[in-house]
Amino acid sequence: MKRYDLIVVGAGPAGLSAAVEAAKYGLKVVVFDENANPGGQLFKQVHKFFGSKEHKAKIRGFRIGSQLLEEANQFGVEVILNATVAGLFQDKEVTVRINDSIQHYKGDAILIATGAAENMVPFKGWTLPGVIGAGAAQTMMNLHGIVPGQKILMLGSGNVGLVVSYQLLQAGCEVVALVDAASKIGGYGVHAAKLARTGVPFYLSHTIIKAEGTDCVTGVTIGEVNKAWQVIPGTEKHFDVDSICMAVGLSPMAQLLKMAGCVMEDNPKKGGQVPVCNAYGETSIRGVFAAGDVSGVEEASSAMIEGRIAGIAAAEYLGYIDKVTLSDKVGELESALNSLRQGMFALENRGKCIEKTEEGYDVSLHLLQKGYFQEQEVANYPGVTVQRGVHAVIECSQNIPCNPCQDACPKHCIKIGERITSLPVVDENAGCSGCGMCVAACSGQAIFLVNEDYENGYASVTLPYEFLPLPEKGERGWALDRSGSKVCTAEVVKVQTSPAFDCTNLLTIKVPVAMAMKARFFREGSCHAECE
Amino acid sequence: MNSRIEEHPILGKIEKGRRVTFWYDDKKLEGCEGEPIAAALKAAGVMVHRHTQKYGAPRGIFCAIGRCTDCVMVVDGKPNIRTCITPLAEGMTVQTQYGVSAKCANKAEGMA
Repeated sequence: MKRYDLIVVGAGPAGLSAAVEAAKYGLKVVVFDENANPGGQLFKQVHKFFGSKEHKAKIRGFRIGSQLLEEANQFGVEVILNATVAGLFQDKEVTVRINDSIQHYKGDAILIATGAAENMVPFKGWTLPGVIGAGAAQTMMNLHGIVPGQKILMLGSGNVGLVVSYQLLQAGCEVVALVDAASKIGGYGVHAAKLARTGVPFYLSHTIIKAEGTDCVTGVTIGEVNKAWQVIPGTEKHFDVDSICMAVGLSPMAQLLKMAGCVMEDNPKKGGQVPVCNAYGETSIRGVFAAGDVSGVEEASSAMIEGRIAGIAAAEYLGYIDKVTLSDKVGELESALNSLRQGMFALENRGKCIEKTEEGYDVSLHLLQKGYFQEQEVANYPGVTVQRGVHAVIECSQNIPCNPCQDACPKHCIKIGERITSLPVVDENAGCSGCGMCVAACSGQAIFLVNEDYENGYASVTLPYEFLPLPEKGERGWALDRSGSKVCTAEVVKVQTSPAFDCTNLLTIKVPVAMAMKARFFREGSCHAECE
Repeated sequence: MNSRIEEHPILGKIEKGRRVTFWYDDKKLEGCEGEPIAAALKAAGVMVHRHTQKYGAPRGIFCAIGRCTDCVMVVDGKPNIRTCITPLAEGMTVQTQYGVSAKCANKAEGMA
C-alpha cells in the first residue's frame, strides 16, 4: 500500500488547484482521475470566462486548463490517469482501479473533487441514438473535432445549454431551437442574446413531447406547457433534426463522500446531495475535504478557488503550515470566491424572479423570454449612451460577476467600480478611441462600437465575430437585428484580428444610420434586387 | 455529410492522429488513430452502437465521457467496451453489440 500526504480524486479545475497549493507547501500529493487526460471539463470550454482578473476572466477555459497543468508540473504534482477511485474507506484508505487491478493507497488527507454528472429528462424516444447530453456535444466537437449532428435542438436554457448551443454554431452546426420548460431563460442574458442574434429561436415554456425516428433521431416534437407543466394540446411544433441535446442541470457526484460516512445534506440549490463542509471545504470527517461541483454545482472559476482553499487547509491540517498562515492565505481567496458569488445568479437567488437590478434598472422580460431586448429597452441601461462619433454600446443588463470591459478600456470610458456585479457605465466624456479592446474583452459579447457619424447617412457598427469563414473587407451581406432577423443590407468595412483579441474578431459593418441601434450581427450572402 | 471539423474559429486547425483502418461489423472503415472509437464511427456516419437485450432497442453515444455505458460495443472480441473513451487503433475489430455479445462471428480475429 502506497502512502501520500494528500490524495486528490479528480484532476479537474478543483482537484488540480488543490494539488498545486498543497504541493507548494511540501505535501506529497497524488491525483487520480478516471479519464485519459487531466483537466476535467476545462479543455472543452472554448469560451471566455467571466469574473475579474483574479478569476482569469476573459481567458478561454482550455487556456486556463493548460496553465493549471503547467503549474501542476512545476510543483511536482503526480497525476495518475485512467485510474478510477472505487472506494474511500476508514482511515483514509482508497481503492483505485487501474487497468484490470484494484490497488490500495492511503492518504493522511483526502480531497474529493469528482465534479458533477449531467441530469437527463426522459421523454418518448429519449434513448434513441442522436439524443445526447450537452456535455457529450461539447466533448465531441471541442475535444475530438467531430460535430454531434448537423441540425440540433437544445433542451435547457441554463448557461450550459446557451454556451454549448453557441459552440455548436461555431462548429458549423445549425441549432434549430432552444427549448426550456421554464418560463424564463435560466442562464446569462448575454449568452442568450449572442445566440438570438444569429437567428436561433427560443421556446420558453416548452418541452419535448417526443423524439422521432426508428434507428436514430430524425425529428422532434415540442409543445407548450401550462403552469402545471402539462403540454397544452394544439401547441405542438415539429422540427427536422438529427440530434437532440439535453442541458438540464448537473448533479454532484458525491458517492465517495457518502460512502466514507461524511454528513450529507439534500440541497437543491447546490444541485442535490452534497457533503456538509466548513469554510475550508472540510467535511464532517477531519482531513477529508471536498471542492468544486461535488460540494455544490457552480462553475470552473469558483471550483478552482475552492480547490486552492482546500489544498491550503490540507497543508494546515497536516502541520505543514500554521493557523496564521492558513487564515492569511485563505482570506484573499475567500474574498475572490465571494465576489464570484454575488449578483442575480448567486446561490440565494436561484429560482427567484428578479425584476430590478441592484442599481434599480428594470430587467428585460423580453430578454428572459425571447433571448433579446426590444429596441426601446436597450437605451435604459447605463452602458448605452447617445454620442457623437464612435463609442461603446454595452448591452449588459444583469448583475453578473464580471468586469474585464473596465480594465480593457485604455481611455477609461467604462466604469464598473468595486462591486464586480455592477452594470458597466459608459462615461460620455472620456473620449472613446474606437480601439475595440472592450468588444473583444467582453466574455458575453455584449459590447458593440457604434458610430452614427461614419459617413453621410451611414453608421458603422463593430461587433464581435467568432465564426468561420471570417467575412472580408468589402463583402456585402445582411445586417441582422437582435432577434436574428434581416433588417438591411450591410457592407463589411473593417475586419480586425489580433492576438490581444484572442480569436474574437472585430467586424465593422456599414449600415444606414437608422439601423445603428438595430444591426447587431452580420450574415454573408448576396442580396440580389432586394437591396436596391 | 462531413462530421469532421477541419478548422475551428477558436481551436484553429484540428490536429488528429494518422488515418488508420478498422473493421466495423463486416465493413472496413477509416478513422484517426487515438481518437475514441465512437468519434471514428460518428465520422463514418454510424449511429447505432448496440441493441438492448430485452427489446432490441438501438443505442448510441449519449454522454461521450465513459459514464453512461450506452455506447458499448464488442471490441476485439471483448464485449461492453465503452467506445467513447477507448482509443482507436489500426486493425481494430468493432462489432455492434446485441445484448452482451456480437450477433454473429465475423471474419475478424478475436472472434473464435
